[in-house]
Amino acid sequence: MNPVLVLGGGPAGLSAAAELAALGAPVLLVEKAEYLGGNPKRWHYSLLAPDLTPAEEVMGPLLRRVEDTDLIERRLRSTVTRAEPRDRGFRVELSGPESSGWREVSSVILATGFDHFDSRRKYEYGYGRYPALIDFKEFEGMIHDDRLTRPSDGALPKRIAWLLCVGSRDVQVGNPWCCRMGCAVSIKQAVEVRQKHPEIDAYVYYMDIRTYGLWEDLYWKSMNQYGVKFVRGRIGQITQAEGGKRLVATGEDTLLSRPTEVPFDMIVLASGMEPGTGTKDAAQIFGLHVGPEGFLTPKLSDLNPVDSGRPGIFLAGAATGPKAIPDSVTEGMGAALRAYKYARD
Amino acid sequence: MSVVAHLPRRAPAVSVAAEALPPELELTGRRAMSPEDRRTAATIFQEFRADPRHHEFVLGCLNCGECTTGCPAARFYDFSPREMLQIAAVGDATTLWDGMQEKIWACCQCYTCNMRCRFGNDIAGIISVMRELSVRHGLESTRKVLAPFNRSLTLLMTVGTQVASDMIQPDFFKDWGPFAAAGEKAWAADAELLRRAIPIDVLQTTTSSWEVSVQTSLELFRIYEETGVLDMLRGLDPDLTEMLIDIIDERREEFEEARGRYRAEIEKMRGPVATFTG
Ligand code: SF4
Ligand code: SF4
Ligand code: SF4
Repeated sequence: MNPVLVLGGGPAGLSAAAELAALGAPVLLVEKAEYLGGNPKRWHYSLLAPDLTPAEEVMGPLLRRVEDTDLIERRLRSTVTRAEPRDRGFRVELSGPESSGWREVSSVILATGFDHFDSRRKYEYGYGRYPALIDFKEFEGMIHDDRLTRPSDGALPKRIAWLLCVGSRDVQVGNPWCCRMGCAVSIKQAVEVRQKHPEIDAYVYYMDIRTYGLWEDLYWKSMNQYGVKFVRGRIGQITQAEGGKRLVATGEDTLLSRPTEVPFDMIVLASGMEPGTGTKDAAQIFGLHVGPEGFLTPKLSDLNPVDSGRPGIFLAGAATGPKAIPDSVTEGMGAALRAYKYARD
Repeated sequence: MSVVAHLPRRAPAVSVAAEALPPELELTGRRAMSPEDRRTAATIFQEFRADPRHHEFVLGCLNCGECTTGCPAARFYDFSPREMLQIAAVGDATTLWDGMQEKIWACCQCYTCNMRCRFGNDIAGIISVMRELSVRHGLESTRKVLAPFNRSLTLLMTVGTQVASDMIQPDFFKDWGPFAAAGEKAWAADAELLRRAIPIDVLQTTTSSWEVSVQTSLELFRIYEETGVLDMLRGLDPDLTEMLIDIIDERREEFEEARGRYRAEIEKMRGPVATFTG
């Protein structure tokens, strides 16, 4: 059997590759970064929502399953540049430092994932200009290593605010969808901060809290166990004060119907999820349909969310829309099963 | 590719059912409304919802408050663009009526709210639609709010401008700006005078500024007549409207006279000139 091409080494791709190997199928795992693990690895995710499991405890075993087998040929810093359908399967052109050129594959799983929204595009916040304004993907690394210092002067911050839905649910930047995990991850970060440093005040500015399903527990706990405070309304503008030491958040408290101006030592932006560049490229190379949002669209998203509609091409993870790690892992398994069946038939 | 184009749009305005008419207000605990006001409120509500701009401008609202964040008026008044959008989107006839009293006039039409709105609403636009309706229906509150602006309006409609660069001088505005409180005593005595010092007769103060030509100002007035602006104003303030018409009639005569003289001069030099009717 020719190997199954798995494009993308994040949670969905790793899960698909591991599952295929468990079925005894050979896998060609192609990842454009120089490491496996996707966004969780890239940004040093700390604890995972909602159960506060360390990211390593989830990603570690997944990575070991992929690395401890000869069935998976791993190609890092590599991309697929062209693809041609065969009677069965595909011929794909790889480009990378270790091996370039055409390869025969029996089927394809696209697990090309997402990119975090670039918060600089919301210019009114000032991300990239104000050191005390931090994107929550960077904040993950900061709490992971307990580097909770104010970038301006290295002091421990006293008040931190989280601003949800940055680059999500916003037609001004062309992203009307919800990122699905920004609420949970921000609340989790606030809880982590309060666990480690109860003296720091944590405020979350929200318009809706979407800790869906059982994740709601995290939201409740954050208030009644950890004293995280919630303000209903958004910060619409951020300025610097005290020579850049602090930030002033201007917003509206929509429950009190009052404009507010509140100083913070640090503000964390919950940047949304956008289709990754890899996803856009893959759509082009494999001639697949993307929705108006730019994510890949399964043919029947209710019945068969991992089927692209084109024979032999399967989809998994955040390539088809914002997704949490457990959902991506599950889809990786589903896509593996479908791809295996297609390759063997 | 425009993502916005894929956003679900609100259904077009529907005809207003009987229950949308203002309820007996005594029951809702609001101040009582006269039967006449209640009728006007119902008509305004119907016209507002039927206006195609309502469908264009009001798309929905996440109540995020970002429009209010950037709103200069919200800092000074009990006013917020979010509230106005809510009134426009979900309000019933009486809510709309209440919102159309003093509130709509707090807005300075700077359009910052539109820049901020993540739903793509035209909030400043819908506020101006409400204003238009309040003028058209001659609301008592509108009359009161706009009364102090009659001088500006007179200048704007008859001369074509109301601001000259030499009007914008700190001396005339001692009671405004950051030093107002400090100098309060100094100007309090002659506040009335200062108000009058805003030059009413622009023609005397525009020597260093832009002066609208008579022809342009008459053309502008013709636009007000043809587009119904004058009729709107008549509903609100018939006396002012008549005064404006008098001023313009006079200026039209002067203009025709001047034109006649000019034509005669030219004809003296060059023979008959083709006549334009303007
Ligand atoms: S998950 Fe929360 S932060 Fe993310 S877009 Fe949805 S509501 Fe906003
Ligand atoms: S246009 Fe009016 S409502 Fe909008 S921000 Fe400016 S003053 Fe406020
Ligand atoms: S910015 Fe737009 S969506 Fe947000 S509260 Fe204002 S009108 Fe509503």
